[in-house]
Amino acid sequence: MPRSLRVLITYLLLILLALFMMGPFLWLLSVSLMPGRNVFANPPAILPTFIAFDNYVQVWNFMNFPRYILNTVIITLLGVVFNIILSCLTAYPLAAFRFKGRSLVFTLLISTMIIPSATAMIVHYLTIQAFQLGNTFFGVVLPAAVSVFNIFLMRQTFLGIPADIRDSGKMDGASELRIFIQLVMPLVKPGIAVIGLLEVMAFWNNFLWPIVVLDDPQKYPLAAALTYLNGQFSYNFGWIAAGTMISVLPIILVFLFTQKYYMEGIAGAIKG
Amino acid sequence: MYKGFRSESFTAWAFMAPGLLFLAVFTFWPIIYGVPLSLTDYSVIAETNYVGLDNFTRAFQDHNFLISLWNSLVYVLIVPVIQIISILMAILVNSRIPGVKMFRAAYYIPVVTSMVAVALIWSWLLGNNGVVNYLLLKAGMISEQVSWLSTSSTALYVLMFITMWKGLGYYMMLYLAGLQGIPADLYEAARVDGAGPLRLIVHVTLPLLRPHILFCTLISVMGAIRVFDEVYILTKGGPGTSTLTSSVYIFQKGLEQFNFGYASALGLIVSVMVGALSVLVFRLNRKGGVNSY
Repeated sequence: MPRSLRVLITYLLLILLALFMMGPFLWLLSVSLMPGRNVFANPPAILPTFIAFDNYVQVWNFMNFPRYILNTVIITLLGVVFNIILSCLTAYPLAAFRFKGRSLVFTLLISTMIIPSATAMIVHYLTIQAFQLGNTFFGVVLPAAVSVFNIFLMRQTFLGIPADIRDSGKMDGASELRIFIQLVMPLVKPGIAVIGLLEVMAFWNNFLWPIVVLDDPQKYPLAAALTYLNGQFSYNFGWIAAGTMISVLPIILVFLFTQKYYMEGIAGAIKG
Repeated sequence: MYKGFRSESFTAWAFMAPGLLFLAVFTFWPIIYGVPLSLTDYSVIAETNYVGLDNFTRAFQDHNFLISLWNSLVYVLIVPVIQIISILMAILVNSRIPGVKMFRAAYYIPVVTSMVAVALIWSWLLGNNGVVNYLLLKAGMISEQVSWLSTSSTALYVLMFITMWKGLGYYMMLYLAGLQGIPADLYEAARVDGAGPLRLIVHVTLPLLRPHILFCTLISVMGAIRVFDEVYILTKGGPGTSTLTSSVYIFQKGLEQFNFGYASALGLIVSVMVGALSVLVFRLNRKGGVNSY
């Protein structure tokens, strides 16, 4: 097969797949820009005949979006900060130190990945109630404050740092904590960026646990508020579509601007 | 020397203490506490009693639970489909042609979007008068409208399709990473020996992707059995019990009906099942091997 034909077929397949993967989003965008149209009209409205932002204005005025966005940002920031600090601190010794119990910690961590706990949410609920953290943002964030996956990812990153750096720090009489903060941490910024991004996405999209923990819908993050919107206005498609776009766009933009790090990081998560 | 080792050990544990504390409370504790909880009838409302193995005997006579287990097993059928499609996608986006990175990003967008949004979009697309029915009717592939999500015979498969659609990009990326780790000269050598594109895939690509296939199969098996969000948002297990998966049933028993004891027992049974399936996947791929993950 000549190369040009092969390239042509490749592009054709790539475009077909792109329609399959992106089509639903483009259609959502299209619905959100069609005021007063029913998604179930026959034939269904696929492309807007004219573009208007009425749905966005109306749903923005109706729902307290700034509040939900603020809630989401607070939850996401808390979650990201906790995850970065805790997984770096936990992963560093696993990569750089030699100590008794290292393999024990490692086995324990791996076993949590192999044996998932379907009961986790129920026990988390009881734990959060016991800590009196029900209906608080901390109650939303703490159960996911550190993940085994992030620890492994950071360990992988720390392994790439030469041992000389720690030795030279010791030679100069720096404490372990100082070596960690001033010498080692600046070298793992790409790894931190990756777990940061992973957690931004996880916390931004989280909907169920916030609903379980938070009694007050005013404290809901965006994804949770969206289920609420859907329940209330199941007939007003344009509004729901616009609301969904508002909740989805920030995360898609974050992804598009950081995809280089993000994709390398995801790929780095497993080693053949 | 000994003193140095001890202090290093102390420092290591000091570093790990905060993280391990959180893991202990929110990762290990649920696994441990699930066991005693499953032996009680703890329900918040009434007094808690020790009931021995009653919850477990009850579970195996609970028709809905058995159905949910079966549905979860059916859900695992998407695992091989996901692997095949995402490997093909990865091969496609591994081509060195202009603009290919744009396509990679496009395929990944469903992964980063919330399940709430994805479920909403698909519930509209799949509605009676929705776009999917319209297109399929136009193409002559169905003769009348199908209520995809409210027909018992289709609902579970439709949910599986949505799970697959959302996850394809993720697995594609993992496989892409694997593909990029394969040295180009291996392909050159095979090509010199006269291998065509198909033989290259079967004899060079797939064997070298083995560790990735094992890893992806493992996480998608676990994902399929734990599937929750899409089912909960779209069908809540219905119509009837046709999409009742084990996680949804456990959630209903636990956090909707507050039967914490019974739900914990169900959770334990499912955990054991997932553990067994993971071991099975490992056995089937013994030659593979996951490197510290």
